[in-house]
Amino acid sequence: MVTLDVRPQLLEALSALRDRVASARFPLPLTGAPRARANRDELLAQLDDYLVPRLRQPEAPLLAVIGGSTGAGKSTLVNSLVGRQVSEAGVLRPTTRTPVLVCNPEDHHWFAGLRVLPELTRVWMPDHPELREKPARPGQRVGRDEPRRGAGPGERVLRIETAATLPRGLALLDAPDIDSLVIGNRELAAELMCAADVWVMVTTAARYADAVPWHLLRTAKEYDATLVSVLDRVPHQVLADVSRQYGALLTKAGLGEVPRFTIPELPESAGGGGLLPATAVAPLRAWLTHRAQDPAACAQAMSRTAAGLLSSLDSRMPELAGAVSAQYAAALRLTAAVDDAYTREHARVRGRLQAGGVLAGSALSRWRSYPLDCSAGELLDAIVDSLAALLLCSVSAAGQRIDEQWSREPAAASRALAEREADREGAEHRIGLEARRWRRVLEEYVEEEARGQENPPDPEAVTALLATALLGGRRARTAGETLAERIGAHGALKLRDRGGRLLTECVEKVLRAERDRRLAPLDALDIQPESQAELIAALSVLKKER
Amino acid sequence: MTAVTAVTDHTSGQEPTESRGTGASRERSVADSARRGGSSSTDTDTGTHTRAWAASPTRKARHDDSAPPAGEKRARRSRAGRRTSAETGTQGGTRGTTRTGTTKKAPDRHHARGKNAENGENSGSGDAEGRAWDDGLIARRAGDAPDSAESRDGNATHARVELFDQHGQDAYGDGTPQNTTYDPVLRARLDALRELVGLSRTRLDGRTLAEAGRVLDQAAARRGLSDRHTVVAIAGATGSGKSTLFNALAGVAISDTGVRRPTTAAPIACSWTDGAAALLDRLAIPGRLRRRPLQHTSQGAGLDGLVLVDLPDHDSAAVEHREHVDRILTLVDAVIWVVDPEKYADAVLHERYLRPMAGHAEVSFVVLNQTDRLPGDAADQVLDDLRRLLDDDGIALGEHGEPGATVLSLSALTGDGVAELREVLRQFVAERGAAARRVSADLDAAAARLRPVYAAGRRVGLSERAREEFSDRLADAVGAAAAGQAAERAWRRNAGKACGTPWLRLWRWYEDRRFPLLRAKPAPAPPADEEATARQRVEQAVRTVGDEAAAGLPAPWAQSVKEAAARGAHGLPEALDELALTAASPARRPPRPGWWPLAVLGQASMTLLQIVGGVWLLGQVIGVFPPNLGSPVLLMIAGIVGGPGVEWACRMAARGPARRYGIEAERKLREAAAACGRAQVLDPVAAELLRYREVREQYVRVTGAVGAGPVTMGSLGAVGSARQPGSGGSGGGREADAHGRVTELSTTGR
Repeated sequence: MVTLDVRPQLLEALSALRDRVASARFPLPLTGAPRARANRDELLAQLDDYLVPRLRQPEAPLLAVIGGSTGAGKSTLVNSLVGRQVSEAGVLRPTTRTPVLVCNPEDHHWFAGLRVLPELTRVWMPDHPELREKPARPGQRVGRDEPRRGAGPGERVLRIETAATLPRGLALLDAPDIDSLVIGNRELAAELMCAADVWVMVTTAARYADAVPWHLLRTAKEYDATLVSVLDRVPHQVLADVSRQYGALLTKAGLGEVPRFTIPELPESAGGGGLLPATAVAPLRAWLTHRAQDPAACAQAMSRTAAGLLSSLDSRMPELAGAVSAQYAAALRLTAAVDDAYTREHARVRGRLQAGGVLAGSALSRWRSYPLDCSAGELLDAIVDSLAALLLCSVSAAGQRIDEQWSREPAAASRALAEREADREGAEHRIGLEARRWRRVLEEYVEEEARGQENPPDPEAVTALLATALLGGRRARTAGETLAERIGAHGALKLRDRGGRLLTECVEKVLRAERDRRLAPLDALDIQPESQAELIAALSVLKKER
Repeated sequence: MTAVTAVTDHTSGQEPTESRGTGASRERSVADSARRGGSSSTDTDTGTHTRAWAASPTRKARHDDSAPPAGEKRARRSRAGRRTSAETGTQGGTRGTTRTGTTKKAPDRHHARGKNAENGENSGSGDAEGRAWDDGLIARRAGDAPDSAESRDGNATHARVELFDQHGQDAYGDGTPQNTTYDPVLRARLDALRELVGLSRTRLDGRTLAEAGRVLDQAAARRGLSDRHTVVAIAGATGSGKSTLFNALAGVAISDTGVRRPTTAAPIACSWTDGAAALLDRLAIPGRLRRRPLQHTSQGAGLDGLVLVDLPDHDSAAVEHREHVDRILTLVDAVIWVVDPEKYADAVLHERYLRPMAGHAEVSFVVLNQTDRLPGDAADQVLDDLRRLLDDDGIALGEHGEPGATVLSLSALTGDGVAELREVLRQFVAERGAAARRVSADLDAAAARLRPVYAAGRRVGLSERAREEFSDRLADAVGAAAAGQAAERAWRRNAGKACGTPWLRLWRWYEDRRFPLLRAKPAPAPPADEEATARQRVEQAVRTVGDEAAAGLPAPWAQSVKEAAARGAHGLPEALDELALTAASPARRPPRPGWWPLAVLGQASMTLLQIVGGVWLLGQVIGVFPPNLGSPVLLMIAGIVGGPGVEWACRMAARGPARRYGIEAERKLREAAAACGRAQVLDPVAAELLRYREVREQYVRVTGAVGAGPVTMGSLGAVGSARQPGSGGSGGGREADAHGRVTELSTTGR
């Protein structure tokens, strides 16, 4: 058999690249994200199903995937090439829902294992005695993963058929429609095309100008895959005309050198079940057989597709890396919006605290009536309550600002980010907790300070005065004075100092905690800047090894 | 060239200010352009563009232009008159050249316009379609298809095509077409939609409303045109046999059929009855592509009023074909979808056309062609499968006399089944209802698309509870509860002070003098500019009430409600500051009730008793009075017990009034704050909600759900009626005020 010139370093670089591609994530719903995700999957499919196995085992049989629009006669073509009914053909569309792989019995072991298309569960039809009678031969790699007879619902399956009529070293894969109404079929068809050494494109006299097959042809050209084009179901009377036009279209699209086979419309092609006469498919069969059996042609077919795929990485990897970096940039923008909102709010809270904004409303009423009509405990309660209200207000203002900013970001529509529980009550609870903790620590400070003094003043009253002095700004000047009278100027200064620091800490802690809570879903998506660099690095390593 | 005249003229008819001046100068410009050959002159260019804009109202939407067709007609008439004079000289030459030169170029104009149209649609609605068709290796490349060459000189030739347009029109004869009439329900719905668009223009962006505007324009345009005609397009994939079917129905080979794919490049029309010229103008089908069926045959009979349009394919690699199809499909009255056994399950057909047009089932026919290619009973199998697929697409099938799409199988080549289609078409055309049904289906689709911006997810409005919570928060912000408590305590303190025993007062005074530090001085009188209201609480209260009012509303309306709340909150803290100063000045001394002097008297008499008793006792001790322990001791005890007794009784008696006084103080502050909040925040929010309700009712009218009005009124919540019980008197006035504001807004919005 033929060998491609493959060095182990290349394989290593390739598998490193594959891992990088597999780890690329696009969780944010940016405009390019679905496309990037599909590109990633497609690239992964091509690497896993085709490039890596092909480079590892260049002697494996040539896989020709028959693809085309619905009703183009793919199954009939495969059946005719094989010479018996292996894939169901019919008039109802879409006909082929399960892909069928046909190979020579000798080659069966290549495909029974998970060498290619590992995601598809292998099944085979029970009505082929040759398979049942011939269990795993020595050297066959099926043992660890014996194919099953049936497949569960939702499982994607690949049916493997063997036919001695096919030459060794050639396998045909009958793919579902590339433009099927069933979306799963479309995806599967694309994935199968990715695994092909030879792309056999089937179109018909009625379809050769359709947009969809041309997209496929263009794709094949882009990847520089080994391509064969089959014009099927051409009525006899217009055969030459249509064939010429199709050729002209191909040449215009820069695909002039693609081998082109024309198969006339025969009664058998429409009815389903019938096989086309051998003469009709003979040229195609001969071409495929030649590829499979002539080492040079085989090597050429394989290496062309492989090399085309490798060089297509040059453009596809940067695209992927670009999408990754777009994700990171979007995540950065979202984070920046959150940070910005909380920074602003923090500044605002500091301003309000300095201006004595806490000593307003109830707290102010209490303070005015203190000490005659209000106890120290009530004053303290009111002040702590007011502090909590200030913090809650700033947190929800930040939340609103973030919502506004994020509503302009498409990335914020992500379900993970949108599913924020309405936790106003939760935030209220958490902030209240923090405020009460601050009060408790303040009381401890006061008790500590008062312990040394003879004739200790009422700690609660001192705490209330201290809290008022700390939070009341200018309007609580008298509170500071009274405090100094009660506990001594030095002690008052020390208490105010410590209390002030504690207050700053408390505010920062609350705002930071709420900010982190807000960012938690985004952080959970784990969007890192490194993956872009890693993708490019893996590509450049691969380029060096090539 | 003559065509240029026609174009410029047309422009002048439509937009006098933009015209190139008087008739003389126009003639000159015509002459100029004729000399220049008209190949790339700017005149031609702009003229063509304006023509494109005027002839078929694009979705760039002149919603307010109530009668575009009338203007158009006028323009056409004047154009026709002028042309005859200008034409004669140049006609011969031009005709020869354009026939050969423009045949291929003609589509380009439609291409350009269709492209615009498609862009508009894509921006509005194409997301879902785009996604559905963006999931595979191959399909993803659909967008990469190279654009067909859009040559600039193509623009120049468009104008020339115009000439033949006129010819065709003449040939058809411009009869006196009866304008299409829509039934009252449809008219009401259209009016409602127009109203709706006007009402919501200030709230929704133009993109959202563009689709509705397009529907209105097209309904108006179609209304101005003949109702004797039913325009039916034949659409389908390339090679499905559209042209063959077209020819079979016309009874004559009008449209080229062939094996070359794609065969038909430009739409071809065939009218069974005269007077369809205006309709075909609207489709922008040039005159040379307007045909007539073979008359005087049994085949052509019975289809009076039918205008059949053979469309290019929608799925070939030639992108401009698809653009033709997309453009014309929005304008025709009914569509015959031609599918064949090979392509009937194509994803392009189902995902791009049939599914989005599922609402148009009543004006759709689905025809399985080429049954001659199928052996035996396979045709029935395929037809059943096709029915299943259509059902999956959500298209109602017109079986058993129910309204819905008609599904037929036929072979245009052999003529098998064509008669059946002809019969169905004959009935369909004779009903003359297709245009209205089409507009109705368009309206349904537009309404469905607008649903997310109008329909609320749940009961909408401010609940009584939310309003009360808002008032509570505001009261909290001005410290009403604390102020009330303080007032109550102050009252009691004063009562105690007034009615306390003199000894107690003496002791207090002594205590104060001994430990002046323990008793803090009361806070000094606050400076005038003080911010007594807790800003954070006000802000939070407004945000909460805004969020609650906006909950469940569609995003644009929720936004405007929140904005209304935020706007109202602007001067709210300052207003509350003011109010706290005036309504609850704490410096004001509590009133002195009438029984205090009595209590003081009692207290004094008790003290007197003590003193009398003490003096008496002392007198006995020093011998002034005869010794009689009983009476003075009794007097003293009575005084000693009675003093605190009177104090206690006073305190008990003061409790109630103090409480009332405190509550009164709190209530005053609370109500003042609530009234302030209502005027500044709740009323604007309610007005905004009313506005939404109005729009919502309009939307319900658009959807055509008769009798749904009251239901939605209820489901919208008690927007206007939920009022504080305390504000009953002024509530009505405010509500009326809110109504007034809403109507004012709506009139300006319109």
